[in-house]
Amino acid sequence: MSEMLLNATTGRERGSRASRRLLREGKVPAVLYGGDLAPLALAVEARDLRHAMGGDAGLNALLSIKVDGSTYTAMARGVQRHPVKGTVIHVDFHLTDPDKPVVVDVPIALSGHAAKVHMAGGIVDQQIFSAQVRARPAAIPRSLVLDIEDLNMGSALRLSDVEVPEGVELVTDSETTVVVGLIPRGVKGGAEEEEGAKGAAGEGAAEGEAAQAGPGSTAGDGDGAAEASDAG
Amino acid sequence: MLMPRKVKHRKQQRGRMSGPAKGGTEVSFGDFGIQALEPAWLTARQIEAARIAMTRHVRRGGKIWIRIFPDKPVTQKPAETRMGSGKGNPEHWVARVKPGRVLFELSGVDARLARSAMERAIQKLPIKARFVIRPGAFGTPEVEV
Repeated sequence: MSEMLLNATTGRERGSRASRRLLREGKVPAVLYGGDLAPLALAVEARDLRHAMGGDAGLNALLSIKVDGSTYTAMARGVQRHPVKGTVIHVDFHLTDPDKPVVVDVPIALSGHAAKVHMAGGIVDQQIFSAQVRARPAAIPRSLVLDIEDLNMGSALRLSDVEVPEGVELVTDSETTVVVGLIPRGVKGGAEEEEGAKGAAGEGAAEGEAAQAGPGSTAGDGDGAAEASDAG
Repeated sequence: MLMPRKVKHRKQQRGRMSGPAKGGTEVSFGDFGIQALEPAWLTARQIEAARIAMTRHVRRGGKIWIRIFPDKPVTQKPAETRMGSGKGNPEHWVARVKPGRVLFELSGVDARLARSAMERAIQKLPIKARFVIRPGAFGTPEVEV
């Protein structure tokens, strides 16, 4: 992994209004900290940051940050995004020793075609999208590749099945499930998807999966759980 | 339709919805999502209609997540009633949604089918919303600067 150069300036005003002003000027507010260094409030050009983060290493790029004549080696640790635009609004740079291992999140990429699952009408359900690894910054892979060619319906591939490059150690539990060959909605028990023409409130429990309430809950087709009419 | 099983208080004050969402703004479970661009109260009925539109279009396959929950009761006074004599009866349930909030997520289908399904679902909502893809998935950049 090559080191990307990033020019930064100090002496930016602090506070949300000043930060918004910076963003309008095409700069991104940032902070550099770690080790014995007192936290430095920085501003980096958005274009430079895009270039630095868009390289092969992605978010885990090792950066050489040039500030007022001195150069610091750091990695981006916290990237805050705008909730609507998705653009970066603040970055935390953490001083990094290139020779010491660091713990970072690396995305998990699936390779191959899960033919057995697709033939059976199933779907490949990826449960986690990144895993924590410990490695020297230069050895951090862009992604961990998991081959799903041998995935069967109803079976799972775990983190231990991921090819981990040399010099990289998994921090996340290797028994964590990464992908599952899942039976899709509407196929359980051979029953076809049954929405019914009854409208929104009338779904029966054709499938076992009930829509569980709450953030991150999965919604099956038959909402057995809450089909009562409006409260009142 | 979604609604709480049990609540501590039957009636709530209306509250304000200024500013963007503070959490739930990223696609966390699936590959695709619907992101709200306006603040609104989404009723349980609208959420259900959007979900059905999406499920029907996807047909078999795919997995759907509903990232919002209508936990706020909305009261209404009966028609042709004189003002006074207390707050009305709880009529329906809504989810408070602020700009940036991811409303639904979908996985297990290809990008084209996901987009068309989610665009149909967006039509059922009373707000502007957009189709989003998880950063890093399907060739999308991990960071947008």
